Amino acid sequence: MTEIPSTATSTPSNPISSAWSRLTTQSGSRRALLLMAPLIVFELLIFVIPFAILLRISFAAPSSDGVYADGTWSLEAYQQVLATDLIWSIVGYSFFLGAVVTVLSVAIGLFYAYAIWRSSGLVKSLLLFSVVLPLLTTLVIRTYAFDPLLQPAGLLYSTVGVVIAQLYIVLPYAVLAIYSVMATTDWHVVEAARDLGASRPRSVLEVVVPQVMPGIIVATVVSFAWSVGAYAAPELLSNNITFAIYVEQLMLSDMSYPTAAALSAVMLGLMSLCIAAIFGVLNRFGGEFELA
Amino acid sequence: MHRETVETVAFRAGYLALFALMVTPLLVVIATSFSDGARIAFPPENLSLAWYGEFFDRINWLEAFTNSILVGVGTAVLATALGVLGAFGQEFDDGLLGTVVAPLVLVPLLIPPVVLGITLLIYFNEVGLRGSYASIILAHTLWATPLVYFVMRSVFSRFDWQQLDAAHDLGAGPVQSFVHVVLPNVKHGVFVGGLLAFIISLQEFVMALFLSTSSTETIPVLAWTELRQAMDPMVSVVSTFLILISLGTLVLAVIATNLEWVSKQLS
Repeated sequence: MTEIPSTATSTPSNPISSAWSRLTTQSGSRRALLLMAPLIVFELLIFVIPFAILLRISFAAPSSDGVYADGTWSLEAYQQVLATDLIWSIVGYSFFLGAVVTVLSVAIGLFYAYAIWRSSGLVKSLLLFSVVLPLLTTLVIRTYAFDPLLQPAGLLYSTVGVVIAQLYIVLPYAVLAIYSVMATTDWHVVEAARDLGASRPRSVLEVVVPQVMPGIIVATVVSFAWSVGAYAAPELLSNNITFAIYVEQLMLSDMSYPTAAALSAVMLGLMSLCIAAIFGVLNRFGGEFELA
Repeated sequence: MHRETVETVAFRAGYLALFALMVTPLLVVIATSFSDGARIAFPPENLSLAWYGEFFDRINWLEAFTNSILVGVGTAVLATALGVLGAFGQEFDDGLLGTVVAPLVLVPLLIPPVVLGITLLIYFNEVGLRGSYASIILAHTLWATPLVYFVMRSVFSRFDWQQLDAAHDLGAGPVQSFVHVVLPNVKHGVFVGGLLAFIISLQEFVMALFLSTSSTETIPVLAWTELRQAMDPMVSVVSTFLILISLGTLVLAVIATNLEWVSKQLS
């Protein structure tokens, strides 16, 4: 993300300037650059620079009177994050929630996408409709709907309740990610597997799953990223604090910007590692998936 | 044979149960909007339209509605412009730029909205945009642009680029050929992308929660702050309106795509 070829970074350091001259000498690339310039400038101004500032603040010393001491360098915020047991338990809970919701969301998403794929006519339309309508409804309402549903079941303020509500939030994205790939795969291959004696569940696991692996990867990454960073469902439906809720507290109640920034940086680092691992593991199953 | 029947029954039962689970929460919200109590309860004890009457007396909901539309339209326009131009530029790219831009555009979607919210709060404070509509529009554009961008890339990948060469050979300038040759062929994709951007903005609330002030709060933000104070059926009323708007959008989109299909069959 740091080596973006833009007018701001065209310093005569070697790899950048050679990339820059390659870009500007080819007429196609010049046109590409011109057309993509607004997008690149936008991402730089609203995404890259703000994150650089956040990262800088995470290395600033906390200040007693204000939010952070301007111009100071310190590792205090990181030390505080790494040394506080409370923060580690919050981080652990966030990852636990993310892992549980992701596994359920991908498994159920695969099943539901398969049901949509195999159905036709009105049933197919209704199944698709049931996925798209929640998707069009705001997160606040999707979460709020679970208050009257979980309360009579005695699940309000429980981890099970939060998992159910968070699952409902991410499931539509998982279903659509898997379905969009499944819709382009060839049913005849599955039929061939069945003619050769594969049972139905086996034919799905060994023939359909590897083919839709790109969709499964997207579903996994999206479910994971959004559930680890969950804010609304745990805040409204449980007493457990996720890292997102804690970051908000650090920022708005405690006014300790460096700690909030450092915790965000640590979480983003850990999440990137997990996402890279997900890609690595799932990509390997794309080719040959063996059911023991 | 018997085993196959059992499997088929289990499969059907499975997806019908999931269908019910997907729809129930939304039906519960709609049902609770008709109760007359002070706290949401399901099923509602007495049916009444009291909270609907109350809604039209509350000026803050109408203001939030205006704010939501304003921010949504702003996001849709900005994200569509950035996404369409970016995806179009990608078509002339030799691969170097695209390998950087595509992930750069995608990454904001994977960052927890709370982290994005605090990052932008600090940033907009420094550049003096705090509390403005622009700050929320820019934040929502960060999430809406990837969707427009990826929709447009798949649309452009199906476009016949020889048409553009033909336009150039016939003497059309870059802007002229884009407006008269490319745009008419991809307008459906532009519409879908813009609609997605609008919907993303309409329902996003965590970033808006951080960035809005009482005069710029959107409907989800107001719904959230009201919920923190009282779990009353007013939020159900607002939610019912929003669900109906979503339903309307969905029906419109289905009609629009079918009309497209019909017109294709006729031409």
